[in-house]
Amino acid sequence: MESFFVRYRNLVVLLAVLLAQMMGLAVQVRRMGDGRTTLDPGDGPGVRLIRLWANALVSPAEEAIHSSKLGVGGLWQNYIDLRHVREQNQDLQKTIDRLQLEQAALLEDARQGQRLQGLISFQEKYIYKTVAAQAFGSSGSDLSRVFYIDKGSNGGLGRDMAVITPDGIVGKIRDVFPRSAQVLAINDPTSGAGVILETTRIRGILRGNAAGQLQIVGILADNRIQPGEKVLTAGGDQIFPRGMPVGVVEKVVRDPERDGFIFIMVKPAAHLDRLDEVLVVTSTEPRFSPEEQQDIATSEALKGTEAAAIRDQQIREQQAMEQQKASQIMAEHLPGLIDPNLPQDQQPLHDSSNPNIVTNPPRALHPDRFTPGTATGPTGTDSASQQQETPKAAPDKEHPSQAPSSAKPNTKPAAKAASPAHGNAGQAGTPPDPPRRNP
Amino acid sequence: MAVLSASFRRDLEIRRYPSLVYGLVPLVALVLQAWLPRVLGRFAWFDLPLVVTVYFALGRRSPIQGTFMGASMGLFEDALSNHAIGVNGIAKTVAGFLAASVGVRIDVDNFTVRLLFIFLLSILASVLYVFVTRFLLGMELEWSWLNELFKAIGNSIIAILTFPLLDRLQIRD
Repeated sequence: MESFFVRYRNLVVLLAVLLAQMMGLAVQVRRMGDGRTTLDPGDGPGVRLIRLWANALVSPAEEAIHSSKLGVGGLWQNYIDLRHVREQNQDLQKTIDRLQLEQAALLEDARQGQRLQGLISFQEKYIYKTVAAQAFGSSGSDLSRVFYIDKGSNGGLGRDMAVITPDGIVGKIRDVFPRSAQVLAINDPTSGAGVILETTRIRGILRGNAAGQLQIVGILADNRIQPGEKVLTAGGDQIFPRGMPVGVVEKVVRDPERDGFIFIMVKPAAHLDRLDEVLVVTSTEPRFSPEEQQDIATSEALKGTEAAAIRDQQIREQQAMEQQKASQIMAEHLPGLIDPNLPQDQQPLHDSSNPNIVTNPPRALHPDRFTPGTATGPTGTDSASQQQETPKAAPDKEHPSQAPSSAKPNTKPAAKAASPAHGNAGQAGTPPDPPRRNP
Repeated sequence: MAVLSASFRRDLEIRRYPSLVYGLVPLVALVLQAWLPRVLGRFAWFDLPLVVTVYFALGRRSPIQGTFMGASMGLFEDALSNHAIGVNGIAKTVAGFLAASVGVRIDVDNFTVRLLFIFLLSILASVLYVFVTRFLLGMELEWSWLNELFKAIGNSIIAILTFPLLDRLQIRD
């Protein structure tokens, strides 16, 4: 046995190393419900540790090379008199970048308003908190289009944060290390982003292909899609801000595998091959200047005033409807009040000039058991009806002190007396209810 | 007697390098492989870790060392990507093993043999990469054979340039 291992030790070692790696691979993939196998998006602790080590080993050297390249280039470019010009140019470039972002946001808001798709809330503006970062490394493989930036969890970055440039979207953060982060570019085959065509409003999913080109997949053939149309982020993926430029339609290709479907090849707006400075969207909470905040407060106040006016109007309309409904009910109960010779709006029921209209009684200042609507005493109706309805209350007349507690008063007549229908009935010739007793 | 002869020949032709070279050269290859594609864009048709793996495997003529060298380089490459860790590892493990095994039997100091050898191993590594991803893992993989062919040619050209430079680093008696 020993001679076997000695003789074939090279092969044994090879098989052992291969087997170990295959086992490592097996724990990293998982089978989906539809039978496909996919890489587990969340790296396990062991895998993450290996990535962390590799990153810690390679990134500092890469960063040093990149910095030295920038340093030498910067020294040359900032030479003596050109220094101030260079700084001014950088400031102006930053201003242009910021304005381009704001312009994209405002343009999309205006279009949405034109299409009457609803009110635009201030929270949907595209002014987000961003962190600037420097791209310095890559995966080294053309099958894995990821790159590294020099900001990590120490800089407030997290997974799935959008990475953009003023020209357009770039990718999303896939993995975060303390001082660096791995960004999955949008032209990676495993990447995905919800996009929308600017004029035709066709939605699709953007992903990369093997050649590193962007394509929108799963689109039904549509003659309206023409090269040159702008592609924007749709905002439904919860990663990229809505309305950010993605690129322009380059050409439309038929899907060879599915009839009636097409690929839309997209030319990216951002220079994905030559990224230098990028912005990471760290928060989707809107960030407003003091002037904008003041405008928002004014708008909110105006909105409150208008809402109050609308509410008052609604209350008035509701009261009028209730009054009309009561009149209709009364007319149904007392058909004699309806004069067939008179039009509907001149019926006596609708006569508002009647000075004897009975309204709800004023509320008592010191209510007691005799006050209408109270449940602890007689309600002011005639005693006969009360005795008929509550015969058990009769013996209590001899012990008036016990009456409130032993007898159950009937509050129905009081409610009837308070109703406007009763008032109108009295006015129309029926004997009115006895006057209410106020203490 | 035949075994003794082969072993004797192998011992004579084993190249030795300073320890620093074993550590620094692979590291430089990994760093450059990660950094150069940013400069060259889509024209980065080379695989420096594979070139270094094959060089040391051919020089050391030890299949076990070639296996471990290939495995470690491949795993590091995988760790820097967004793919599963081990796919490149397996491909380069086999490449390192084969390079060392063949290096024992044939004269790899010949310039043309080296060129042809690195070209074939590059193609083999690509095939293994596709095989492991598509058939072992059952995952979808966007693939371009033209790119892999260009990469194999690029590796051969880099081997022409770097092998003589690396030869200078070996310890000579």
